[in-house]
Amino acid sequence: MTHLLEIRDLRVTMGPQPILQGVSLDVPAGGIVTVLGSNGVGKTTLMRAISGVYKVGGGEIRLDGTPITNRTTHDIVRLGVCQAPEGRQIFSSMTVLENLRLGAGPRGGREYEQDLERMLGLFPRLRERLSQKAGSLSGGEQQMLCVGRALMGRPRLLLMDEPSLGLAPKLVRQIFDLVATIRETGTAILLVEQNAKAALRVADQAYVMESGRIVLQGPATELAEDPRIRAAYLGGHVH
Amino acid sequence: MFDAFFVQQLVNGFSVGLVYALIAIGFTLIFGVLNVVNFAHGEVYMVGAYAGVVLITAWAPPLIAVVLFVMAVGAVAGFGLERLAFKPFRRFQDEASLKSKAMREATLLSSLAVSIIVREVVEKVFGGAMRPVPFESQLTDPVQIGELSFSTGQFVIFGAAVAMFAGLQFLLYRTRIGLSIRAVANNPLGAKYVGIDTDRTIIATFVVGSVMGAVAGILVALYYGSVFPTMGFAPGVKAFVAMVMGGLSSIPGAVICAIFLGLAEAVATEFLAQGWSEMIAYGFLLLTLIFFPTGLFGGARDRV
Repeated sequence: MTHLLEIRDLRVTMGPQPILQGVSLDVPAGGIVTVLGSNGVGKTTLMRAISGVYKVGGGEIRLDGTPITNRTTHDIVRLGVCQAPEGRQIFSSMTVLENLRLGAGPRGGREYEQDLERMLGLFPRLRERLSQKAGSLSGGEQQMLCVGRALMGRPRLLLMDEPSLGLAPKLVRQIFDLVATIRETGTAILLVEQNAKAALRVADQAYVMESGRIVLQGPATELAEDPRIRAAYLGGHVH
Repeated sequence: MFDAFFVQQLVNGFSVGLVYALIAIGFTLIFGVLNVVNFAHGEVYMVGAYAGVVLITAWAPPLIAVVLFVMAVGAVAGFGLERLAFKPFRRFQDEASLKSKAMREATLLSSLAVSIIVREVVEKVFGGAMRPVPFESQLTDPVQIGELSFSTGQFVIFGAAVAMFAGLQFLLYRTRIGLSIRAVANNPLGAKYVGIDTDRTIIATFVVGSVMGAVAGILVALYYGSVFPTMGFAPGVKAFVAMVMGGLSSIPGAVICAIFLGLAEAVATEFLAQGWSEMIAYGFLLLTLIFFPTGLFGGARDRV
């Protein structure tokens, strides 16, 4: 069976430094897959390689069976892979509305209006701030805008890189509720997180990365019970 | 104090300032998306002027046709310039090299090289001397209003500048390509993530900036009645000063500072000999760099 996203033996090197040393993973259509791991193991590099921001040195990335390795980022976005990247990368000097407009890409007219309406239903806070500069939003609102902007591209696969980073616990819960809501619309999600507990709760499948390699994988519920995971990522005492 | 001569100088200075502003916009747009200074921008202005004069000499078409032709030449010049002097240094796709220092330095030199080559070629083809614009096409007819005498060129410059500023605002705020230009200027990595084709956006920026620069060139040629190969240098430097004073990447800042420079130079001729008024722009550049390192309007480092 082919998955929506298949990654086989992916290798990325930055200068002399190998960052990804043969990563393989699958994201089924409509599923949520999470990649766990501590800082600096290559999670963000993996996400950037999928989006075509980093050059891939070896291995293959396939979307619906078609190789997309080393295609340009705008091609990959057009094929339906959108990312809410690390650091948000919103357009801080442009308005919230302009950010969402840019996320929609070349789509215009009625379709765009409908998507915008749907997005503002999902993020009512953004509706109040449509004409504000994105840089003036709070951290949580900026994260909402970042996800909303990616969703405006009507992705089949949404890549989320550390969406809970730097957010208050209440906002973290909102973000993960949102992840569940997005999956109901049929969008598959690949979620990179340090907050393993929350990520394992929403995900179907989970992978654990260490120094550029996948060291553990399985259904999220099983990994949540795995003693190694509990010791390393869940503080050792989680129910 | 406000005698007619002084007001006359202000009007003249304002016209010159608008020309600086048209050139400064091109500098600012390109600096915004690439973080580099395009040293060949003054030559785009010069090429626009020559193209217009050649067309006028051959067929003497109506002014609007001349301007449209010069806009087309400017667009082609901007496209070619980007391909020749900037694109080759953008082979690497990652975001680190998109705004890296090495690339910036390389394009400083490559755009300088293109500017020298273009200037030399124009000199070889048309000669180094001043080339007069056919008299019937010059925009130097006096228009007397009360004690003040304007020239038709000042009205044309004013009208064309206002139209181009309005067109630019429309482009940047109401069209997809304009939004893309602002997005790349604001956050090049973010622009990639929303699927913007960065290469195409950069080309579009060069085309827009060069169209404005080329139009400025033909307007000045008609206003002063002549063209010469090095005509792009002084206005180019002054537009550059306006960009720096305006905060490097603020278009309104650059426009305001350009007009201010034009006015200051004109007023200075009241007090200084002609040659010395040329020093005004450089004096302002030094003062800005020393006392306002982020420019008069660049406090927040806001882009475009």
